[in-house]
Amino acid sequence: MSILEKMQNIDRRYIYLAAWIFVLFPLFFPLGLPVPIGRESVAWFDYIEAIPDDSVIIVSMDYGVSGMPELYPMTVATMHHLWTNCQANNWKIIVLAFWNQGPLVFDTLLTQIDPAADYNVVYGEDWVELGWVPGAETGMAALATDMWSQTPRDYLEDRPLTEYPIMAEILTADDIDLVISIETGTPGLPEWLRQWNDPFGVPFIVGCIGVSVPGMAPYLSSGQLTALLPGLTASGEYELLLNRPGLAVAGLDAVSMSHLLVVLLVVIGNVSYFASRGKEVS
Amino acid sequence: MIPMWELIGVWTAVLMTLAIYSFLYGENPWYRLAEHIFAGVSVGYAVAFNLDYLRDQWVNKWSLSGTLVLLYMIAIFFGILWYARFSKKYFFAYRWTLAIIVGTGIGMALRTVIFTQFLNQIMAQARLSLWVPGDLLQSFSNTMIAIMVPCVLLYFWFTGPARDRGPMKYIEKFARYTMMAGFGAAFGYTVLTRYSLFIGRAQFLLGITPNPPEARMAFYVIAAAILITLFAKDHLFKKT
Repeated sequence: MSILEKMQNIDRRYIYLAAWIFVLFPLFFPLGLPVPIGRESVAWFDYIEAIPDDSVIIVSMDYGVSGMPELYPMTVATMHHLWTNCQANNWKIIVLAFWNQGPLVFDTLLTQIDPAADYNVVYGEDWVELGWVPGAETGMAALATDMWSQTPRDYLEDRPLTEYPIMAEILTADDIDLVISIETGTPGLPEWLRQWNDPFGVPFIVGCIGVSVPGMAPYLSSGQLTALLPGLTASGEYELLLNRPGLAVAGLDAVSMSHLLVVLLVVIGNVSYFASRGKEVS
Repeated sequence: MIPMWELIGVWTAVLMTLAIYSFLYGENPWYRLAEHIFAGVSVGYAVAFNLDYLRDQWVNKWSLSGTLVLLYMIAIFFGILWYARFSKKYFFAYRWTLAIIVGTGIGMALRTVIFTQFLNQIMAQARLSLWVPGDLLQSFSNTMIAIMVPCVLLYFWFTGPARDRGPMKYIEKFARYTMMAGFGAAFGYTVLTRYSLFIGRAQFLLGITPNPPEARMAFYVIAAAILITLFAKDHLFKKT
């Protein structure tokens, strides 16, 4: 077997081994590669900065634990951004989920951040967690028309919504000024568009995993989606804009190295393929 | 020092992560074990959450009047009919629930899908400015969108020999390049996501803050144990 043929038939386990090395090395020994800030993360940052005073914001945790490695850092950064400005701008924040593991992810966040101690926000007055709303798109439609009926109790303290001042004037989608959906799939952007954006005109911004980006780009171009934070790299950039480096920034060297490996493998595969094809022709 | 029960949790999480990744070496019992546990835990979690939601709804809303109780019971009855699909005799009953779910879902989506995913997209395409002052990249991007979208639509509009005649010959080629670029972008982002997921787990395994630092020792020990068992299994099977 010639070297060209060998290069086309590398045992996949060597490739996986290379992937482990390329990812683990920069995590053991950070390289400090430069991080240019992309326009998506700037747009996301600017949008949140420009949210008007007295706004009511829904943060929807539309992903499960499998999406955490990519979406959790942006969730932490976004919640930090919102809670930091919550009292000064009189924002009201409602956290909910259309994925049943969403509350579990948010529980993890609350083990690392104490909103009351870190940001001086009061549960039930400045923010509230309503938990999981089942039914996917049907649940979204029902929530839009009657929020109290869909979630009669909160998730965190399991008390009736009547006990929370924040919910006193929030009844339907008409009372919501912005939806921030952090998501991995269905229900997600198309369902939000169909049940909240179009019928009620509620603007929304989306943080998503990389796989979803090509499907979301047309909505961003058309203006139906106002801002999009795509994947781990953009999360890292956002953390830098917030001046609060976290997990995403810590992983950016590994992202660069892993992409380098993919490019190398694509080049090796193509070079060996075209070279061996030329040989066959001759 | 974290409490013992948390430490057990960390070691279990490391074991499950590495057991799933052991599939990269090949099919093996570690992977099977983790896969079955994951499936069981996910389903158990979903069932518990659903029951919790049903209880909340019952206590706070549906138990408050006779009519609501009746409606709740009807809903529960149709919910139970889902399980009729496991019976040959009562399979037909499962279709009632399915019909309600599909009918409601489609009706709900069709209400606005024509605007959100069709008309609004067409209008946005029509409003596209080919020249964006001061932003050459956006101007180029918009111009490409204005050319590519009609080309791909025409590609699917004309089929058969009509594609090989006149201007369609060139449009067809350009449309194929457009779609290949689109698929390439999707594939690229897919690779990016897979690596991001892997990086997230690697950060956990190495105990990088805010992950528990105890995970790193567990990673070394469990990775060594799994690798030894995998190599030993291979070696034993080769000998026999």
